[in-house]
Amino acid sequence: MLEIRDLIVSYGAIEAVRGVTLTAAPGAITAIVGANGAGKSSLLRAITGLAPIKSGSVLLDGKDITKLPASRRAELGLAHAMEGRRIFRQLTVEENLQLAWQFGRRRNAWADALERVFVTFPILKDKRRVQAGLLSGGQQQMMIVSVATICNPSYLLLDEPSLGLAPIIVQEIYTFFTERCREDGTTVLLAEQMAALALKVSEHGYVLRQGRVVREGPSKELVDSGLVAALSSAYL
Amino acid sequence: MIAIRTFLTRLLTHPATILGAIAILFFGSAYLSGGTVAILGFLMLNILLAQSMNLLTGIAGQISLGHAGFYGMGAYASGILMKTVGLPFIVSVPAAAVIGALTGYLVSFPAGRVREFYLGMMTLAFGLIFREVVREWDGLTGGAVGLSGVPSTTLRNLSLFGVTLDGLDYFRVVLIVTAVVMWLVHNFIQSRYGRAFYAIHASEVAAGCLGIPRAGTKQMAYTIAAGMAGLAGGLYAHMIGYLGPESFDLARSIEVLVTTVVGGLGSMAGQILSAIVFTFLPEKLQVFAQYQFIVYGLILAFTLILLPRGLAGLFLLPPRFIKPASLRHVATDGVAIRTAGTVADAALKVEGVTMRFGGLVAVDNVSLELHPGRITALIGPNGSGKSTLVNVVSGIYQPTSGNVRFYGEEITGLEDHRIAGLGLMRTFQDPRLVPRFTVRENLLLGAHRRYRSSALAATLALPSAAKEEAAFLATVDAVTKMAGIADVADQPLESLPYGYRRLVEVGRALLAEPRAILLDEPAAGLSEAEMVLLARMIRAMKDAGLMVLLIEHHMDFVAELVDDVVVLDSGRVIYHGDIGGMRQSPAVIAAYLGTADHA
Amino acid sequence: MEEFLTLLLAGISVGAVYGLIAIGLNLTFWTTKTMNFGQGSVMMLCAMLTATLIARGWPQALSILAALGIIVVLMVFTETYTVRPALKIEGSMGWAVSTLGVGIVLQGCAALWFGSQALAFPDIIFSAIDDVVVFGVHVSLQYIAVLVLALALVVVFELLVRGTVWGRAMRAVSMDSDLASVIGIPTRTIVLGSYIGSGILAGVSGILVAQIGGTVDPAFGFELVIFGFVAAVLGGMGSTTGALVGGIVAGVLQQMVGGYISSAAQHGMAFALLILILVVRPQGFFGQREIVKV
Repeated sequence: MLEIRDLIVSYGAIEAVRGVTLTAAPGAITAIVGANGAGKSSLLRAITGLAPIKSGSVLLDGKDITKLPASRRAELGLAHAMEGRRIFRQLTVEENLQLAWQFGRRRNAWADALERVFVTFPILKDKRRVQAGLLSGGQQQMMIVSVATICNPSYLLLDEPSLGLAPIIVQEIYTFFTERCREDGTTVLLAEQMAALALKVSEHGYVLRQGRVVREGPSKELVDSGLVAALSSAYL
Repeated sequence: MIAIRTFLTRLLTHPATILGAIAILFFGSAYLSGGTVAILGFLMLNILLAQSMNLLTGIAGQISLGHAGFYGMGAYASGILMKTVGLPFIVSVPAAAVIGALTGYLVSFPAGRVREFYLGMMTLAFGLIFREVVREWDGLTGGAVGLSGVPSTTLRNLSLFGVTLDGLDYFRVVLIVTAVVMWLVHNFIQSRYGRAFYAIHASEVAAGCLGIPRAGTKQMAYTIAAGMAGLAGGLYAHMIGYLGPESFDLARSIEVLVTTVVGGLGSMAGQILSAIVFTFLPEKLQVFAQYQFIVYGLILAFTLILLPRGLAGLFLLPPRFIKPASLRHVATDGVAIRTAGTVADAALKVEGVTMRFGGLVAVDNVSLELHPGRITALIGPNGSGKSTLVNVVSGIYQPTSGNVRFYGEEITGLEDHRIAGLGLMRTFQDPRLVPRFTVRENLLLGAHRRYRSSALAATLALPSAAKEEAAFLATVDAVTKMAGIADVADQPLESLPYGYRRLVEVGRALLAEPRAILLDEPAAGLSEAEMVLLARMIRAMKDAGLMVLLIEHHMDFVAELVDDVVVLDSGRVIYHGDIGGMRQSPAVIAAYLGTADHA
Repeated sequence: MEEFLTLLLAGISVGAVYGLIAIGLNLTFWTTKTMNFGQGSVMMLCAMLTATLIARGWPQALSILAALGIIVVLMVFTETYTVRPALKIEGSMGWAVSTLGVGIVLQGCAALWFGSQALAFPDIIFSAIDDVVVFGVHVSLQYIAVLVLALALVVVFELLVRGTVWGRAMRAVSMDSDLASVIGIPTRTIVLGSYIGSGILAGVSGILVAQIGGTVDPAFGFELVIFGFVAAVLGGMGSTTGALVGGIVAGVLQQMVGGYISSAAQHGMAFALLILILVVRPQGFFGQREIVKV
């Protein structure tokens, strides 16, 4: 179980997350929706250990990990696919995957891990020796989620996985992690600007606004309450 | 604590205190021993050097690890010019300053091309090499033996306007020169130049977008600082009449750096305190000499970490960057916010701009136009290329292809400060201001490109410069009123909540009297009340005939303001028209909601 | 002709050591975009400790290892207490001042402990007078040994960086340290490692230069760092091949100028070279232009 309690994230005087309490139910997808600048990325970055936490705590399976460095959190089975196409551009696809496998929590053999990636995204097999920076946007996103999941993490944080992608690719990525969640029991925390999309695949949702949770509940209820329509008209 | 600092600051910076101290030194020195007067003379030189380093490092944020080189350059220049060439003192010392400045100008020329620490290395190299060259070039410099017989007070062969100077006279000359130079530097720091120096220090990108050239400003800082060091060197040459390369080695450079760091970066008063400490301490504590280098090293290693604002931070208030005199002469009302004259059509035209980063196409063949007096919203999901487009237009990125025209003039790929200079201003998604400046100082930074008075006028505090500054301060007042931030105008920005920063940044752009303004998510993080103020400012821009490009996500906010809407998705324009049409556009709905047919 | 060849060999040999110094500077530049301004003192200290221990009768190999061991401890201290905290303070150049400060402390301590006179550096493999005759030209064995050692170290370094997990992890940190830590790379350790590696390279370079020069004194080092920096800039900051090529170019030019013009001009030459490359090609021979992302 991933729990966040009264989390405040601040960059100097600027508070990006202003007291968020949230629980990601094990083996399910939890969505965080909200406009650009609502604090979704900062929240995820704080969970991973990249954003400065001013107060509050992050608990992983009941263990307080608030003060652990990011690399130690990765060992505990926490994976994060960041927004903004973060990859090692000068390394090849295979080197990117291998690096993540070597420094992650290794529970699977390299050959098996790689095979699983290539079965899921055959295009990456063809491009395995290509520098990651030369891939198309969709291929990069496939590689990013593969890098994040190569060590079979227990927790997967996804930050705007649909950003700037063609609908067909978005579908592929979404299918990928919903299946991961179903098959491996991975707990997924999904931050997404496209509320309709995120709430459709998730069980539970949180709506963030200006760093605070303004609504939460089962995703279906949030959709039925007309929230999606309201969100998309108020914030684009 | 604040009360003590306020009291000390008032006391130490009060004109009466300063004039009193100068008078006491001037007349009192007659009653001191020759040795003490000599030490006081060295104190003055150390103050000059510390002020020079402070201007460079404390104000402009640049580094010099070879200050002794500039100092030595001046010393040898004046010494040789007087002894070998036979020039009079009144010419050789100013020449030393000029030669020092020239050296600084040359050493710092890569300022615009490379990372800052290159200049650290280059000055370090310059300092070491200067000493080597002096040692080897003995025909000119006397080599390792040194240059003796330089006209000086000890030899009783130094004269000024026909009067032979003795030690006391010379001290008085040095005192006056030091005082005058400090007055000039003080004026300079409290002018648009000092503010520009500090802005470069705080955020180069933001400074560039206000029309402050990075490379030129940094080079100017090195030039002036090296000129001051050269002047100190020139004065030193005639104090003892002998110059040896050891006086200008690395240890001397380190000493200057130590003095400045301990005094407190940015504070002129702190530099004086620190110079006093480091002039008298080695004199009084002989045992210190053995460990001097180690102590200096420890100071450098840890002061910036443990006591970043040095002695000044302990005892004094932070320095300010506007002359109090200018503040007193501000007209109280009747000031309208003006913008540069507008032409009916022409406008800003973006034509087929594409921006690629490696394999990623961030902006894909985008064309759009802005018109005077109209607000155009630029909308799109995260990562759709909005900010990248603004970065291309404002000159931060060079586009892969396409071009941008501003009033018919091609501005594609011009440096950001040149584009700003043409009257095209922008704000940033994350407000980029100078945290240590007050609201007023930050706003005044916006007017940088509009000042017409020269650096000389500002340095000499001529009435014309003061008048110009007061006029801009009046506009600042008008803007703070409109933005609803008048009551915090004199608070340092770092002490204010986020919303204020946004308003200050927009206000700053307004002070530049722009013809076009690009606002990158100005309402993000603002409260409802602040949004009302912001909307008021944006409307004022429209009424004044500006072209406004507004990137924004709050639809209610946008709907109220805009005339045209351009929607981007994955770097492409997917909609262009009015806001009503946008809400109906299938392409826009798909881009935002994700169409229902997947997931 | 013989003089020319001697100067050429000396230049290549010394230049290869400049290349090593430059690689040491590059290493920390990769991980943190910083550079140890006190690197010269590290070189000096390592050479001085080695000379002192050997003079006390320690075996040569052990002396060198012990000196390098002390350097490692020192670099851990430098990174932890001066670089890391300085990177957190605003105004970004604090680390330059603080690392220079550490260098100055070391220089001061060395002067206090060993005196400010030059110490004789013992002959480790060959003495200055050992030479072989190749095509009728006397070639100093010491120069050849230094050259071979320096080149071997560059090769080993390249193999470590390209071929090992940790080398790749270091490149990963240099490309995107956030991403590196997210996938589990202990970035802190990598940064510390880069400082240690940088110190070791500096220490070895110090020993090699002292071996050629025959003496070492507390002020030894600062100038060498300048040459190392010139090599790094010439080759292109961050490029290993560039560092080696840049070092050799600087070394050969320095020897030629010293041999044919004057030893005084040697120093000026380094500076002129630095200025020239920054005018003509600021990114160096092998470097790429940095794209500043906003």
